[in-house]
This record gives sequence, structure tokens and C-alpha cells, in this order.
Amino acid sequence: MKRAPFYLLLPGFVTLAAVGVPLAYLVLRALEADPQTLAGVVFRPRNFALLASTLQLTVGVLVVALLLALPLAWLTTRTDLPAGRLASLIGVLPLAVPGYVTAYALLSLGGPYGLGARVLGVPLPHLNGYLGALIALSLYTYPYFYMNLRSAFLRLDPALEEAARALGHPPLSVFRRVVLPQLVPAFTAGGLLVALHVFADFGVVSLMRYPTFSYAIYLQYSTAYDRVGAAWLALWLLTLTATLLFFEARVARDAAARTQKRPPPKLRLGRLRPLAQAYLVGLYTLSVGLPLSALLYWARAGFARIERADLLEALARSVLASAPAAVFALALALPLAYLGVRYARGAARTLERAAYLGYAVPPLVLALALVFFTLKAVPWLYQTLFVLVYAYTFHFLAEALSPLRAALSQVPAAVEEAARALGSRTPAVFVRILLPLLRPGLASGGILVFLSTLKELPLTLLLAPIGYDTLAINVWSYTQEAMFAEAAPYALTLLAGGAVFAGLLLGSEGGRR
Amino acid sequence: MRRLYGLLWLLLAFSLPAMAQPLVIYSGRSKALVEPLVKRFEAKTGVRVKVRYGKDAQLLAVLQEEGARSPADLFWANTSGALSEAARRDLLARLPDDLLQLPARFVPQDGRWVPVTVRFRVLAYNPERVDPGTLPRSVLDLPGVESLKGRIGWTPAYSSFQDFVTALRKLEGDPAARAWLEGMKALQPKAYASNTPMLLALASGEIDVALTNHYYVYRLQRGGAEGEYEGPEEEEEEEENEASPAVRDLPLDMYHFAPGDVGNLALVTGAGVLQRSKNRDLALAFLRYLLSSDAQEYTAESVYEYPVVSGVRTPDFMLPVREALELSPEPDFGRLEDLNGTLNLLRELDLL
Repeated sequence: MKRAPFYLLLPGFVTLAAVGVPLAYLVLRALEADPQTLAGVVFRPRNFALLASTLQLTVGVLVVALLLALPLAWLTTRTDLPAGRLASLIGVLPLAVPGYVTAYALLSLGGPYGLGARVLGVPLPHLNGYLGALIALSLYTYPYFYMNLRSAFLRLDPALEEAARALGHPPLSVFRRVVLPQLVPAFTAGGLLVALHVFADFGVVSLMRYPTFSYAIYLQYSTAYDRVGAAWLALWLLTLTATLLFFEARVARDAAARTQKRPPPKLRLGRLRPLAQAYLVGLYTLSVGLPLSALLYWARAGFARIERADLLEALARSVLASAPAAVFALALALPLAYLGVRYARGAARTLERAAYLGYAVPPLVLALALVFFTLKAVPWLYQTLFVLVYAYTFHFLAEALSPLRAALSQVPAAVEEAARALGSRTPAVFVRILLPLLRPGLASGGILVFLSTLKELPLTLLLAPIGYDTLAINVWSYTQEAMFAEAAPYALTLLAGGAVFAGLLLGSEGGRR
Repeated sequence: MRRLYGLLWLLLAFSLPAMAQPLVIYSGRSKALVEPLVKRFEAKTGVRVKVRYGKDAQLLAVLQEEGARSPADLFWANTSGALSEAARRDLLARLPDDLLQLPARFVPQDGRWVPVTVRFRVLAYNPERVDPGTLPRSVLDLPGVESLKGRIGWTPAYSSFQDFVTALRKLEGDPAARAWLEGMKALQPKAYASNTPMLLALASGEIDVALTNHYYVYRLQRGGAEGEYEGPEEEEEEEENEASPAVRDLPLDMYHFAPGDVGNLALVTGAGVLQRSKNRDLALAFLRYLLSSDAQEYTAESVYEYPVVSGVRTPDFMLPVREALELSPEPDFGRLEDLNGTLNLLRELDLL
């Protein structure tokens, strides 16, 4: 395998350096620890119990989210279901709902005085614990699988399936033996994001009363004024993540790339159509309809109490921070993905993995590290939007990387080589051959980063310029005080903003869906 | 499109630090509670105020990382614990005597911060399932009520609860505090991250009693901080309450322990001026405003917390200030600062 050119390695080094800052900060803080802190906070039996419960939840969410996403991705790309693009759009919307809003919606639904009993007249069970956390997290992380699978499905070569069918394989066997293996990169890429997300979540698990590792870290930061113990716990979590990344790297085999000659045929659902539609409607009702209706219910009184100008201002601020982050993340992810797929060995691979490490650093830690670092190194940048966008970009880089990577691994290197052999220069190959092929991946990545940053909280709270209150900050502030009516208009605006952006990107995929 | 965003963003990034110096507040209290007062202050004085919101501990961590470069003028915290810690780390400046004399009580010895509001610990209960006559006279006897096994909610990770445990340790001694926590643990209480979800769980029948602060009960009973809003929407108030998810007919009530019991402990929120503030006069003016009867009355009416200055009217449905104060043991906030001891105790018992 040839060596990667310097201009491809450079973004990797930038990422490594950017991720190195918070890591250095963590180690610096951890080194301040005294033996008593170590014994009481770091190495105590409860941490192992927390570790176990975190892993249980992660495995559960991975399974449920995949089971939700796989049929959805298949139905929206490979069948003749109408309104496919709309269906795709709704499929990613759960990402725009802050996890704690979903959790509150689920919580306020159940019980004898819940919305279920009040509005529908049916008292629903009050969710909590493992089951509550599992349901809430699965309902809003399945888009990570969905977006990856969707772009993978769109890039499958139908010729393979046709060949298998011609050899006498029944449809299910074709799916199992030909389609599924080609989806492996999408499975691992999406699964990694879901798992990292579960590791990092504290909003949902705290409301559902299911203690996990990151919740413990969050408690350390929010209760004790002790950054040393928290730094150690964060290092624990990072070890966990690094292990995951290591195994993912070993398991992940990039599927054999094929040249796609034409769009895949759409399967006619026929009599199964109502069943498919019921599935879509059911999933959307739970993942988007539920939080949305809770928000609309709360917002009935809320809109009267919120000034429209405040809403618009918050929206503008959110977009002004999230959109550049999405663009930068894509710009960095493109060479990184190329590096990871085309030069999948040694240093190149390590550099690409650095992006995932950035995703794994708890946001609170990243935020404090950046406060510390900017003040020491570039004080004139402190309290500017730049730092916030920087934090967003490097924290969420992995979300842009993973669908791009999956998309790229389906484009055979032979295509580029052919173009080069025909006399095209590298930039021309990139612009004319690769970019069009990567469009679904770019759109997915952009959507993921944009929606995630839109609702992001700890980074925004600590790094945004003072007074720069985004939609997410407003939602959080009001829910904190149980003022759901005031929080709802902001949350709805957040959803609407996310929907418009995601819709634009999905539209940019071109005529083919 | 991308280019346009880039341009806009650069423009904003460079124009922000260049603006005139406004008063900068770091607020551990949430925007919903702070912004109305800030807006009133701005309207009154013409001073521009910028607020950074967060949790007490986060902001404290940021203040420490920022050190001398901190833009903050004022630290407005949710707990006396955070303020004591800020004072101990020499982040807060000593306040002028005339300001310290404004609150009627709860002023700390070192004079580095002033109390702004008071809240009280209470036991919330579901009147459909619990007869208040069966509840103990002292919170210390709560572990003895076997019938409440599995029906109690508490918030070990929440600052108000931790302040209560610290007070328990100071008033009754460490062994008694440990015994109480162990006794409570034996009743298998359910631990919530914060008070709002806990009271929602109480109303939904998941638990039947909950150790909480008084205003959470009022807020859920009265549908958020909206009860006494002034303004043109006054006529719609009834409808608004109905539309809110937190409605008046929730089975939720509050129980006070016997007068002087630590279960009725008074806790304060407060604010102090930072040593490094370059806007000291404005910061002091804002503190004076917070302690004015205008601001104090507004807080009582909109958030249901008690005033710290005398002669301020509180809404009729609230227990009068004097009675509430008589219920609480004599608090000494200078002694409530050993938060670390409390955290260690909670950790040893695996409650945190």
C-alpha cells in the first residue's frame, strides 16, 4: 500500500492536535489527585457496577435501534413506498429532539395523571429504569443507524442481487447473503455512533433513574467542586471508548466496493404495503409524534408568553453556530474518511480514529479544557463564537465521518484509477468523480452534525459568548424550572429549524433518492 | 451559501469582544428566574447586562479556569455552598457594610456575599395515599416509618439535599447523620436527579412522599411560575393554567415537621461580587436592586421563594415568612460549607 500524501495527512494531524488539547487537560487534572480521592472516587466498587450497567444499556440500545432502523432504511430506499424523501426526513428528526425532552415526554405520558390518562383517557404505564432509558435512547439514536444504512442502501449495486437471484436464491437468502454483508460498514459506523452516544448521555438516564458511568461523571462536575475526581472518571470513560474503538477497528472490514451502474430497482410491496406503512407510521408516532405532541400540548399556553423576536433571535444564534460547524466537520471528515478507507493501515488509520476520540471526550470535560486552553494560549479568542464552533466541529466530527466513510468504502479505488489513467488530475478526479458519488454520505454527515450541535448543551453553556442564548439553552433553562409551556416554543423552533436544514440537505442529494 | 455563513460568522466573532463593557453575571440560577429581573434592572437603569447561565459548580469551575481573565462581575448562585466555596477560594470581594445590612437575616460572617432569597425543605406527599397524621414529627424519625418502604423519593445528587445533610451533620453530629442516611437507605427510597421529575413521579403514583424544597410543590400545584403574572394576559390566566401540564388538581401537598426540626431547614440563594470585577459599582447596584422590595416581591410572586428583606408582601397561598422561619432551626450558613464531608459520606454509602 502506498504512502498517504501530505495534504491528506494534514487534516488528520490537525484533528489529532485538536483532540489532544482536552486529553492533555484531563491528564493534567488527573495528576493532581491525592490518594484519598483515588480511593474514594476512582477505584471503588460502585464504579464497576456503573460500568456493567452502562454496557447493558449500550447493548440493549444497539439492538433495539438497529431493529428500528434497518426496516426503515430498506423501506425508504428499496421499495415503492411513496413520499420517500419525506419519510427519510422524518426518520432523522428524532436527532433534533434533545434527549431530555423525549424523556420528559415519555415521563409525562404515563401514570394516572399523565397526558395519556388526561388526553386519551387511557392511563399508560409510568416508564423508568432500564426499560425507560432503553426506550428513550433507542427512539432518538436509531437515526444514526438509519442515516448510515440509508446511504449504504442507495449505493448498493443491483447487479449483484440480480446475479444471486439468477443463480436461484430466494429473496430472503439474497438479502442475507448478498445485501447484509455489504451493509457491514454501515452497521459498524452507525453502531459506533450509537454506542458512543449512550456512553455520553446523562440527560435521559438521569431522568429515567438508571445510573450509568457518564451520569456519575456529570454528578461529579455538577455537585462536587472537585475537578480532579471528575477528570479520573472521564479517563475511565475514555478507556472504555478507546477499547470500543479498538475492537471496532478490528471488526470493521470495509465491504468489497463495486461500481454502481444504475439506481437499484424499487421493489413493489403489493399486498404488504399497508404493513410497511403501518410500520413507518408507528415508528414516527413514537419517535417524533410523541415528543412533538407533548411539545404542542405544552406550547398552547407557551406561545403567548414568549416574544417572537426572542424565538427568532435564538434560532439565528443556533443556526449561526451549528451551520459552520457542520461545514467544517464535513471539510475535515472528507480527507479523514479518504485516509481511513484508501490507506487503511498504520498511521493513517490512527489519525482517522482520533476523530472518534474527540467524540468520546465528555462534552463537559471538553468545554472546561477549552476554557483553560484558550485563556492560556489565545486569550483574545476567548468568549467568541469561534471557540464554540471549534468545539462543535471537533466533538461532532465523528458524526460527519461515519456516513462518509461508509459511502466511500463502497466506491472502488478502480474508479479513481481509471479516471487518472484517462488523464484526469487529482483535483478533477475528486470534484468530478468522488464528490458526486459521495453525495448521500455528505448529506447524511452534514445533517447529523447540524442536528446534534443544534441541541447540544454543555459545550454551548460554557463556551458560547456571554448572552449568546441558543434555542437549546432556552429549552433547558425553562424545563429546569418545570416551565414546560415556556420551553415548548423553543423546542418546537429547534425541531422546525432542524427539519428545514435536513430537508435542504436531503434535497441536495440530487434527483435520485 | 457556505461562504456567506463563513463571512457572517467571522463578522460576529470579531465584533463581539469589541463592544462596550456591560455588567456580566454568571448565574447558577436558570434563565427563567433571572431574566425577568435582569430586564427590569436594565429598564430602570439603562445598564446593559449579559448573563451566562450554568450550574453553580460548572460556573465555579469556569471561574477558576478563567482566573484573572474572567469577564464576570457578579456570581449569582443557587446554593450557599457554592458561594461559601467561592469565598473560600478568594474569588469574592468583601461587600460594603450598608449593603450587608439590607437583608434581615442570613448574612454570612465574612461578608463576601448576600442572601437573595430563602427556601425551605419540606416533605411533599400524595394526599390520596398518605394521611399526614401518620407522618412523623421529625425528619429524623422518617427512617422508622416502615410503611413508607419503597414509597419515598429523594435527590441525593441535588445541592439542596446535600445542604440539608450538611446541616444534619452540624446539628446532630456525623454519626447521627450517617445513621439517618443508612436508615433511609433501608427503606429503599427512589433517587431522582432533580426535584421536578421527582414530584411528577409523586403525582403519577410512583412514590408517595418526597424530600424536596417548598417552591417546587407550589410551582407544580400552581402550574409553573405563572400565578401572579402582571400584564395584558391576566384574563387568560385561568385558561393558561389549564393548558399547562402541571395543573392544580395534582394530588400533591406539603408537610412540615415540628417547629425547629432540621427537616424544615431554611436554605438561601445569594450573590457576590467577584474580586476581579472591573465593574464593581454596577455589580453593587445590581445587588442593591436584587434586595429592593420591588425585586424581592417579584421573586416571591413569580417563583414562590421567600424574601430576605423585611416588609415584603408574599402571595396569600404561601405560608407567611415569619411562620416559615419559625419552623426552621436556627441556620448558620458559615457552618454549612463543609460540602466535601457530606459528599464523602454520600459516596461511602453509595448514594452518589
